[in-house]
Amino acid sequence: MPYREKSNLLALAAMLVAYVPYFAIVALTPIDAEPMPNLRLLGLFAAVSILRMVVLGAGYLWFRVRTPEDVREKADERDRAIDRRSIAVAYYVLIIGMILVGAIMPFTFAGWTIVNAALFAIVLAEIIRCIVAAVSYRRGWNG
Amino acid sequence: MAEGAITNQIRTLRFMAGEMSQAELGQKIGVTRQTIAAIEAGKYSPTLEAAFRIAEVFNKPLNEVFQWVKP
Repeated sequence: MPYREKSNLLALAAMLVAYVPYFAIVALTPIDAEPMPNLRLLGLFAAVSILRMVVLGAGYLWFRVRTPEDVREKADERDRAIDRRSIAVAYYVLIIGMILVGAIMPFTFAGWTIVNAALFAIVLAEIIRCIVAAVSYRRGWNG
Repeated sequence: MAEGAITNQIRTLRFMAGEMSQAELGQKIGVTRQTIAAIEAGKYSPTLEAAFRIAEVFNKPLNEVFQWVKP
């Protein structure tokens, strides 16, 4: 498996490990009643972000130890084409999310609900980017 | 848009070039072994530049390496 594909799957795994529990907790906890500088939620978000960094760091270290020659390999035209495609798809997810968060949600929601919805849109866009890249590497892409 | 698919003779040409490996060919044209494997399998259509580079490695005209096949 090429290094770029492995690092893409690692990025996907790190996102899922960190942010699925975060958004599960957020969805199950009533938070809008809490004051705006919500330290509990900020702390939770900081913790999952650090967890993501740790998973990524451990993964890249593992790649560096196991296959050091792959790590030095530069991205080629196929890697760049897959990057462009996955980023283009993720852009649409992100822009739809931002329209919902910035232009629609303020009429009916407030505070942390909007903040978390914005974070969810960003995380979802990144997850979609990783999935499109993973599928493009596996199933091929003629574009 | 015209329907069709790009096929190629890279596997055969590598065989005729003394069993050149995918890694060797990739190194010559500046892509990874996996990209050569994807091109051979029809999972990735290379850029025009890469296609010309591949043809140059085998000293063949482009249309002997890549073909456009209509369904």
